[in-house]
Amino acid sequence: MNTDARRYVILIFFLVIGVIYSIRLFYMQVVDESWTLRAQEIAEKRHVVVPPRGIVKDRNGKKIVINKTYYNLMMCEKDIKHLDTVAFAKLIGWTPEKVKYRFKEIYYEEGFDKNPKTKRRNVPRYQKMRKYAFVKEMTTEEMAEIAPYLGNFPGFFEEITSMRSYPYANAANILGYVSEVNGQEVEEDRFYRSGDNIGRAGLERFYETDLRGRKGVHYIVTSAMNNAIEPYANGKYDTTAKQGPVLNLSVDIDLQAYGESLMVNKRGCIVAIEPSSGEILAMVSAPTFDPNLFVGKRATSQNYPRLLLDKDKPLYPRPLQAEYPPGSIFKLLQSVIALQEGAITINTGFPCNKSLVGCHNHPNAGNIMEAVQMSCNPYYYQAVRRIIQGGRKKGLYADAEEGLRIWSQYMQSFGLGHKLDTDIPGIRGGLIPNPNYYDNEFPSKKRPYGHHQWAFSTIRSISIGQGEVKVTPLQMANIAALIANRGWFYTPHFVKSIGRQGPKPIYKKKNYTMVKSQHFDPVIEGMRRVVNEGGGTARRARLEDIIVCGKTGTAQNPQGEDHSVFIAFAPMNNPKIAISVYVENAGAGGQWAAPIASLMIEKYLKNKISDPEKEKRILEANLMNVVKKGK
Amino acid sequence: MSRNQSLTSNVDWGLLIVFFLMLGMGVANVYSVAYNEDHPNFFDFSQKYGKQILWIGFSLFLGIVVFLIDSDIYRKFAIPIYLFCIGMLVLVLFMPAVNGAHAWLGFGSLGIQPAEFAKIGTAIALGRYINSLNVNQQNVKTVILANIILLGPMVLILMQPDAGSFVVFTSFLFVMYREGLTYDPIVLKLVNLIPGIKFKSTWVGSHFIPILFAVVFLSLVTLLMSNNVLTFEFWPGLEIPGFYGVLISLFLLALISYLILRWVSSKRDRNKVTVIVLIGFIMAAGISTTVNIGFQGLAIHQKERIELFLGMREDPNGDDYNRNRAMAAVGSGGLTGKGYKNASLASVESNHVPESETDFIFCPLAEEWGFVGSLVIMFLFMFMLIRIITIAERQKSRFNRVYAYSVAMIIFYHFAINIGMNIGFAPVIGIPLPFFSYGGSSMMSFSVMMFILIKLDSQRNDVLS
Repeated sequence: MNTDARRYVILIFFLVIGVIYSIRLFYMQVVDESWTLRAQEIAEKRHVVVPPRGIVKDRNGKKIVINKTYYNLMMCEKDIKHLDTVAFAKLIGWTPEKVKYRFKEIYYEEGFDKNPKTKRRNVPRYQKMRKYAFVKEMTTEEMAEIAPYLGNFPGFFEEITSMRSYPYANAANILGYVSEVNGQEVEEDRFYRSGDNIGRAGLERFYETDLRGRKGVHYIVTSAMNNAIEPYANGKYDTTAKQGPVLNLSVDIDLQAYGESLMVNKRGCIVAIEPSSGEILAMVSAPTFDPNLFVGKRATSQNYPRLLLDKDKPLYPRPLQAEYPPGSIFKLLQSVIALQEGAITINTGFPCNKSLVGCHNHPNAGNIMEAVQMSCNPYYYQAVRRIIQGGRKKGLYADAEEGLRIWSQYMQSFGLGHKLDTDIPGIRGGLIPNPNYYDNEFPSKKRPYGHHQWAFSTIRSISIGQGEVKVTPLQMANIAALIANRGWFYTPHFVKSIGRQGPKPIYKKKNYTMVKSQHFDPVIEGMRRVVNEGGGTARRARLEDIIVCGKTGTAQNPQGEDHSVFIAFAPMNNPKIAISVYVENAGAGGQWAAPIASLMIEKYLKNKISDPEKEKRILEANLMNVVKKGK
Repeated sequence: MSRNQSLTSNVDWGLLIVFFLMLGMGVANVYSVAYNEDHPNFFDFSQKYGKQILWIGFSLFLGIVVFLIDSDIYRKFAIPIYLFCIGMLVLVLFMPAVNGAHAWLGFGSLGIQPAEFAKIGTAIALGRYINSLNVNQQNVKTVILANIILLGPMVLILMQPDAGSFVVFTSFLFVMYREGLTYDPIVLKLVNLIPGIKFKSTWVGSHFIPILFAVVFLSLVTLLMSNNVLTFEFWPGLEIPGFYGVLISLFLLALISYLILRWVSSKRDRNKVTVIVLIGFIMAAGISTTVNIGFQGLAIHQKERIELFLGMREDPNGDDYNRNRAMAAVGSGGLTGKGYKNASLASVESNHVPESETDFIFCPLAEEWGFVGSLVIMFLFMFMLIRIITIAERQKSRFNRVYAYSVAMIIFYHFAINIGMNIGFAPVIGIPLPFFSYGGSSMMSFSVMMFILIKLDSQRNDVLS
């Protein structure tokens, strides 16, 4: 038998196997990508790098919010082996029960997903192979103590993290704070993962998307032992984490700190603005708190409830949210509106007729400057009546309606009655009544005055800044700024630049009021006299070599002692600072608010105080317990 | 005999070059897999690549020795060589077990695996025996004697136990098949026991070995693919169950082989070719379908057993773990691979594919060089195997031819099983990929095997028998 032909059987075997294998390899390697995905699943890890938040500097480049290094003690359940709970608890200074409880806590904190079949939320998000922070926010010293022994507890390891730190301990109400995201925030914004921080209030919240920076993603090739070996594909798909840009504030931290020291033991606020730019120089809310109290979860959980329950409401951002009656400072705006509307001229005089409205004793005001200087209530009663009842329409009520409509438009143009676009959350708009308000809302929505049921006499208290009118301290400061500018203002704002970008475009846009600039000059002259001449109500605000223009106010407070109000700007020509000071239960504006404003102005313009006695009087004053009218 | 000839005359340079090419690629691959940043030196003998170079050096030294020795001694000393191998296989059973098998002779990393060398000894012994027979001396006695030559080492190897080498020894059945020493006499005897039947030969008996191989291979592939679903990257949504994938592949294979055979065969044989291919396809499809239906019809626990045996089940510590990861490594290579030293799964450091420097050495190759690299490996092996068959068929001595076929079949088995388990076509049984896998025994035995072949071939004209 000849078996030579059998060589071909064997050769065909070789070739068939070779071809089959080649086709299979082509399918596995080129056609089917599921093996590639499987390989990624096996060997690649997505490692997310959270950058430190952007830091914050004041207008002079001083760092006022920085990041400090902390450590989290992480755990990964998959790697934990034979945990000696007692020894571990001893190492980290906990009780063994707390350690056991913490494991459960982490499990439940992660939450649950909906089971697509049963529609019940019972699919745990917790994963054994993921790492979780077991002990958060340990200082370098704390970590250094336990780190050498962590080797005895596989599955536990340290991870570096950063938290906010406030070297100046001031401006808490401006800066806000950060804390961990909650489940809802994680769901709403894919940027966040549990354990990340988010800005909670103030600028931290407003500029959150800038400050948080850009997360980095590293794809790492890991070994079967879960050790990182090398970047995947030499880092081709990696993105670098990028810290958020520096937030350069307009705030002068020294001025802010000085303002806070002046307001110790007082309730109220100070807002200072640079009129030529709308930049907020300082915004004091008193009483205040140290922003470092809210650094980290542990500190926050201790301090937040305490501050929240404090009867003096330190967490309440008064400059933004407290809506006070403006009192006599409102007369400045009534003056310019009356002049613009032609209701009065510069030299119009009114007798101080106390039967119209109460007033203090002073000579009759013969012109607008004197009216401002002496803050004559009957003068403004009469002047504003001419604005409201301007004879534009027939009939008393229709005329009042039209007059109030125009008047409220003026007031809106001064940034009142609506929220300013200031770059901080939680701002309020105050209240400027318009015809609709009296028709439908006042005194109550149920029983308003009704259409054509009111005239000037009904609403006369608005003429002297009492009654329905409500203005926030930030708006008051803005009034001072727009008067200083003679009729325009930039929206007050905190941030001069974000990284290398300038301020937001809206802060570069001049807002013109409806009043021409020439009408401001007589009012400013009046304001100069308020501070600098006899008979003025704010002589305490006078400075030797700086012409301060100001106006006091006393906001009536039916619950207790009146609130002390003062707005001012200086110098008179080419103003550098406009300021509002509001001190609750402090009586007439000239008493406390005016000297505080002058100290702030002097501090900012001269950086020294010429009258230590004045400063001492303010620093030592305690107005916290003055609630009832002291007679 | 003409003693004037130089040592290098009549050397088959083609085979030698492919051999050296594979050695070079192999050691470069080991360097890539086992690369240690702290020891970047290629010749660092504390590292696996350094050791592999030592092994290669030693293998080449042995090769030179083989070249200097007259090839006649293998035939002359066939029986002592074979008995020496048997002795080693017996001795190794008394050595301490490494990884559960008494496979290593020697100490630590300096050990050798006698099973690797037993293949050479068996090939020589088988050659010597078949050489002593007349051409048509196929009867029950000769077949059983030849089988005893194989069974000796096979039983000893199974006692180690070393399933991989055991399976490799069945490759000698193909050599016997080529030489006309098949199970036909036994089958014939049984068939002729039936009254009234008097066959001279049976087709099944004569071609028993290749048919068995084909059936086993097809069954294995069918089983291994039965739980798979084929997906296609360029056509998302298209999903083909693994079994239909096998049938479609068979059909395509039949079509291609039909076209090729039609092209190469003479006009006279064309109808014959058509019938053979058609019958082959129908039979293969039938076997595959039977296996699939039979497998699906099994009770769950029986199915599980087979799946576990074949390494198809998700057992994180079992073989499937290795196979799944090996396949992931191979499959993630893509068209051109991840680049030299860039294997993310198959590197020793990452350790996702265990034994990636020995049994799964094809993984890093495929992962780093992609389909292009894999195809190069395929071509090299195909070239080598066809070259060896060509060499075998030009031998005048039957001893030489048996030896050459033995070498071809052993390499083919190693190639088919080793790469098969990397691509999910073979169960995981640990046998090295010739010239590529790290390890002294296989490197030395395959090199010596190759040099003996080349030496025999170079002296083919000297042999008179």
